Amino acid sequence: MKGLILKDLLNLKGTFKMLGLMIFIFAVIYIPQGNGFIFGMIILMVAMMVVTTISYDDLAKWDAYALTMPVTRKEMVLSKYLVMALLNTLGAVLALIVGIVGSMIMRQSFSMETLAIIGVLYLIAFSYGSMMVPLIYRFGTEKARLMLILSALIPTGLVLLVTQMQIPLPEAANPWIYFFLLLGFTVIMVSGSYLISLRIYNKKEF
Amino acid sequence: MTNAIEIKNLNKNYQDFKLKDVSFKVPRGSIVGFIGENGAGKTTTIKAMLNLVKRDGGTIEMLGMDTLKDEKKIKESVGVVMDGCNFHDNLKTGDIAKMLASIYKKWNQELYQQYLKKFKLPENKIIKEFSRGMKMKLQIAVALSHEPELLILDEATSGLDPIVREEILDVFMDFIQDEKHAILISSHITSDLDKIADYIVFIHQGEILLDEEKETLLSKMGVLKCGEEDFRKLEVDEYIRYRKNQFSFEVLVNDKAAIRKKYPEAVLDGVTIEEIMLFYVRGEK
Repeated sequence: MKGLILKDLLNLKGTFKMLGLMIFIFAVIYIPQGNGFIFGMIILMVAMMVVTTISYDDLAKWDAYALTMPVTRKEMVLSKYLVMALLNTLGAVLALIVGIVGSMIMRQSFSMETLAIIGVLYLIAFSYGSMMVPLIYRFGTEKARLMLILSALIPTGLVLLVTQMQIPLPEAANPWIYFFLLLGFTVIMVSGSYLISLRIYNKKEF
Repeated sequence: MTNAIEIKNLNKNYQDFKLKDVSFKVPRGSIVGFIGENGAGKTTTIKAMLNLVKRDGGTIEMLGMDTLKDEKKIKESVGVVMDGCNFHDNLKTGDIAKMLASIYKKWNQELYQQYLKKFKLPENKIIKEFSRGMKMKLQIAVALSHEPELLILDEATSGLDPIVREEILDVFMDFIQDEKHAILISSHITSDLDKIADYIVFIHQGEILLDEEKETLLSKMGVLKCGEEDFRKLEVDEYIRYRKNQFSFEVLVNDKAAIRKKYPEAVLDGVTIEEIMLFYVRGEK
């Protein structure tokens, strides 16, 4: 299992360098504007890399080969979810660093708001990946990408609709309630997603 | 002598293709050549052995263990090379070692280094820049470096030049010197098998047509060249398949010596595995 995770990280070595450069450029552009948008960018960019690892695997026909080694199908799936967790965490840490360094440069104190944004995005990245991975296992990287773009439009549309209709959002006295709701949702998403992926992968023929 | 592989009545149904009761053995200490044209079922059989596809029936034992029950244990001691390179383009030989060292319990780094040196594989180049021959050699080096008892090679020599092929065949011959070891090698380059195989298993349209020791096969079978008149004289059980040319008949016969005795003036030639394959697939019965 360790070997499988290592394989993904080694494969991403080149991508990491590119990413570092991009983050730097984005930081230079957006931090002076005090824009929270950059944290989302960073986290999502890193989170998306789990998809890259799967498309690398497809390209090399890796999975069929890996399964000739002492590696079970369960380990194959679990390792992808662990890579996802690693990448998401890396994204969040990078976002934090950019946030802290940014606020130091701008001579502001690092706000709780930024921390909250990063925390929320971190959890959303997990839900996002949880939708993505089973779709990829079922339909392949190319089709799954398209489907995800489409399915991202649905919640966006809903949010727009809600704001259009000016339905008042329930205001909780304690924002922590939202956080725990989101945390619970994420845990359900990830574990459900893992089980579905495992089912799909167990049935797969190479 | 125990068997490294024992397949009994393997069945696998696809919509347009079937493996029908495939059974054969790979004895330890031997190289078994698994032949058949493209799409005959070689790769499907190998994939079923490795549980890459689900079988619809039959049992498969490898190294004395059931492949469904002891899958992980078996795979610790099996090296597999498939058609093509399965390592990612941007890795280097060192990266591969790092990753496989934590996958295989018995990964032997020294042995791996020796093979890299022997095959002259560069350590500072990424795999994308390797030639096809280098990629195959890398796959073989990897397959051997966890000290397997059994090698399964699916078209491992196709697409390679004769020099690289011979180099690889030599390595296989070394490997088989240990009597516990065994190799199953599927190929449609039958000249390679002429050189190294001890047994020939021939699959055609999902069925095993032939499973025999190579030497017996080659010493017994022969090609009879004759006119139509002589061909009509042959008994049905004296030949396996025939091919009709413009002026003559070419007949694959079961027992060269018997035919020679019966028809002393007949033109009888020896046969290669390739010819046997062609007769079975393209000849008439």
